[in-house]
Amino acid sequence: MTTIYLVDDHELFLSGVRAELSERFEIAGSSTDVDDAVDGIRSTKPDVVLVDVHMPGGGGLSVVSNILETNPDICFLALSVSDAPEDVIAMIRAGARGYVTKSIDPDALADAIGRIAAGDAVFSPKLAGFVLDAFSETVPVEADPELDQLTPREREVLRQIARGYAYKQVAHRLSISVKTVETHVSSVLRKLQLSNRHELARWASERRIV
Amino acid sequence: MDSDGEHHAERHQVLSGRLTRSTGDRMVTGLAGGIAARFGIPTVFVRAGFVTLALAGGFGALCYLVGWIITPDEQQYGSMIEADEPPTSAQRMGLSLAFLALLMFLEAAGLWFGSVVWPAALIFFGAALVWDRSSTESRERLAQFAKPAESGAKQSRTQIFVGAALMAVGVVVVLASLDSFQSLGPVAIAILLTAAGFMLLFGPWIWGLFADLGEERRARIRSEERADMAAHLHDSVLQTLAMIQRSDDPQRMVTLARAQERDLRTWLYEPVAETNHGTIGEEIQAAAARVEGDFDVPIEVVVVGDRAIADQERALVAAATEAMANAAKHSDASSVSVYVECSDGVVDAWISDQGSGFDESEISDDRKGISESIKARMNRSGGEAHVTSAPGDGTEVHLRSEPR
Repeated sequence: MTTIYLVDDHELFLSGVRAELSERFEIAGSSTDVDDAVDGIRSTKPDVVLVDVHMPGGGGLSVVSNILETNPDICFLALSVSDAPEDVIAMIRAGARGYVTKSIDPDALADAIGRIAAGDAVFSPKLAGFVLDAFSETVPVEADPELDQLTPREREVLRQIARGYAYKQVAHRLSISVKTVETHVSSVLRKLQLSNRHELARWASERRIV
Repeated sequence: MDSDGEHHAERHQVLSGRLTRSTGDRMVTGLAGGIAARFGIPTVFVRAGFVTLALAGGFGALCYLVGWIITPDEQQYGSMIEADEPPTSAQRMGLSLAFLALLMFLEAAGLWFGSVVWPAALIFFGAALVWDRSSTESRERLAQFAKPAESGAKQSRTQIFVGAALMAVGVVVVLASLDSFQSLGPVAIAILLTAAGFMLLFGPWIWGLFADLGEERRARIRSEERADMAAHLHDSVLQTLAMIQRSDDPQRMVTLARAQERDLRTWLYEPVAETNHGTIGEEIQAAAARVEGDFDVPIEVVVVGDRAIADQERALVAAATEAMANAAKHSDASSVSVYVECSDGVVDAWISDQGSGFDESEISDDRKGISESIKARMNRSGGEAHVTSAPGDGTEVHLRSEPR
């Protein structure tokens, strides 16, 4: 069974998530602050960590970067009430493999955790929208085409996700396999994390994020 | 660096502090002590000044009386003035100038001004100087006086220059007025000198007063913002929470919570639009919020490449609103997705649900929703609309607006 670890400074939310997920996953532990979380995750080594973005003491960002330094095989799913672009992009760039808002329903959350545990990426419609926004079609000359652009197919997959379709539906609509959809999404995530930030920086500065 | 900052802050406090009567340094009422502390000069000079002025037609006595009435007691007011800060040379000069000018003014104003006043002034201040020099701090003070610009205050250097120039001019004019410039009248000179001395002395303090006023206004604006936020939270969040507690229909609760969430999110994270025209995203968001409120179905909106809305694109927003309402009303889907992509001139919008779907050919002719409100509207504005749906497989409406 997939083991998960919960990090959130709101006790009430923690207990709610624990109740919803305890039947489907083995809950290795939970923490309400950054330091405790880093220790707990290092000692329990869960498959997936659900981490809140806004917490006292550095927030989810410092949990993700701290753990990935020592345990690069642990996967993170960011979970937040905020879907402000700066929060979303910052968490993804720090190495989170997915980002969902707290209003997600329990089934979709469980599905997302399963996907991340399987080494895949989770793109919510909002996140897909952000990425499409950031990697807009105008091609700057000095950009690295490998990293700073999306292929037409990746773009199409993201559009479908932004339109609210699940991976299976996206596969059906584009007449490709679910595996191919997952591959595209993972490569988009990789580009987002590794891109030489030319596009991202421009996008962020246009929106006064940085 | 740090000590410089402290030094400056302290000086500011001395300059802007309210004049009080000293309780510790007191001979009669403590007024002289208070003034000395206020300006950071030895008390003995202040006392000498009062005595000299008293000789000038009793003016000093009058000043003392008025001062005593209008200044509060130090303990009453709360002690905030420390006398340990030596005055800048500019202040010293300003004070001397002002005092000199006052004497001249009184003489010219025709108060009884016996020949004893000028010699008395010399004697009193000579004595005061000797008295002060014998005090332990005097060496330090003289050192400070010798390098007045040490604290790096550009202003004080300028003040010194101006003060010196004024004094030189004053002396020349006074000397000249003694014989050939009688007509100018010492009154005018005295007033000039008084004004100059006054500005040197009280300029920083008045400036500080204005700065305080600005600070006060900023504080008021901040507190108004806080009050604004409290009012907003009360009107929206608390009301909604109260409604949720009174509601026993889960669907209704979810809708209330979502509407509140959307409202709060907009209020917190989205800055007020800089232009009068909204953006396409804002218009779509607003429409989605209305539909969501009307039909109790959550609507997820994603907008890419948001920009200001052009006039012909309002038709797209209206058609999208209709499509959202249709989906919310007829599809039985648990949510509706709206995706809008804007690029130069072209706007694409997809409104999709995963609900019951329908067969377009089976829609009766008298139902005008799709044909009129969506397709015809888009065609009129030079755009197009496509509806894809099958029973049991959801519905997707694609709207496209192009520049004419």
